[in-house]
Amino acid sequence: MASVKELRQRIKSVGNIKQITRAMEMVATTKLRRFQDRAIASRPYAEEIAGLVGRLAAVLGDGVQDLPLFVQGEGERILMLVVSSDRGLCGAYNSNLFRELEAWRTANADKTVDYFVYGRKAFQYMSKRGFDVKRVIEDPRLEDIDYRNASIVARMLKLEFESGEYNDVQILYSKFESMAKYVPTVAQYLPIDATALGADDGEKQSGDVLLEPDAQTIFDHLIPRFLETRVYNSLLEALTSEYASRRFAMKNATDAADDMQGVLRGIYNRKRQENITKELLDIVGGAEAVR
Amino acid sequence: MADSITLRVITPDSIVLDTEASSVQVPGLDGSIGILARHAPMVTALDAGDLHWTADGVEDDMFVSGGFAEVRANTVRVVTEASERPGDIDIERATKAAERAKERLKDRRVEEGSSEFDVLRAEAALRRAMMRVFVAGKVNR
Repeated sequence: MASVKELRQRIKSVGNIKQITRAMEMVATTKLRRFQDRAIASRPYAEEIAGLVGRLAAVLGDGVQDLPLFVQGEGERILMLVVSSDRGLCGAYNSNLFRELEAWRTANADKTVDYFVYGRKAFQYMSKRGFDVKRVIEDPRLEDIDYRNASIVARMLKLEFESGEYNDVQILYSKFESMAKYVPTVAQYLPIDATALGADDGEKQSGDVLLEPDAQTIFDHLIPRFLETRVYNSLLEALTSEYASRRFAMKNATDAADDMQGVLRGIYNRKRQENITKELLDIVGGAEAVR
Repeated sequence: MADSITLRVITPDSIVLDTEASSVQVPGLDGSIGILARHAPMVTALDAGDLHWTADGVEDDMFVSGGFAEVRANTVRVVTEASERPGDIDIERATKAAERAKERLKDRRVEEGSSEFDVLRAEAALRRAMMRVFVAGKVNR
């Protein structure tokens, strides 16, 4: 059994840890809110672009399905972008992601896959386990991502796809479903699924819309933007999930530290009481002996 | 206002502008396009340039870096990656960017075998920079 002094020390160190985890929880809360705000702010743009893609695809008709970015590539290989966090202490965020990654790899064991990695944790994990990491994106840090940088990533993926080496391009990221639910998801990035487009509203009969200069030119400009919004959105969702997960983990840690402090304090008090009683007995015993 | 059209400028970071205008000019790929109230539905691709509009008799400008404009239900939606009000443009930076782009173009034209892509990019950068300077010049009217 620990001595009173040791117990006091432990209570103190648990208290220190609690302070740290509480601070981290607060930081995560702030950042979470920031990423959520950005995700909400980016929505009108993404919706507008997606809407335009849908309406123009309707104008172009069936020809869309045969455009280069809408058909599978010539190559056999698959390219996958994995989005993890840079830092730990975010609960099961990364391990859930890696579990999904392993499952996906097992399911696609017959294919050669190249990986692009965003986030240090995934790189550490994957480089140790024989994943063919072709490229690690480190600059800017995931946390500092903005639309411009997301569009650079988007362009990179598109160029790889257009090189003809790949059959398709996938993105693995944690989809943000709710504050307590983040689902690691593999989403097909390229080729674009034409059937998923334009199902958004009933304005399909857009035959008499003026197009300047013409549908094909606009569409060619539109598709890169559309892909950019998808990357940006995936990255923002991953970040939101990460910070929601981190906040949750830190809250749990703080609560656990609270509980532990309570238990330790109980033991400490009992022990202290015991010692006092013992000392009293000694004194009383000593006094008896002297009499 | 009897004859007005809603002008909305949307970027990935926010809705930059949402106003009623009596006329709007967007920098289309093949030149500026004027839009008045009750314009027919239209979709156009934009070049980097000057978005110009008149609201309550006051003319105003904004730099847009490209993107699209869609006219639908008496609303002009300008969807662009980046936009700047004339007062917010860093003229010095834009001028320098223009210089850099010119240099790059000069080098590339001389150098044989440089990719067409690079030239296109430098040209786009040059155009963006020049349009920034142009729009910035409108602030002191």
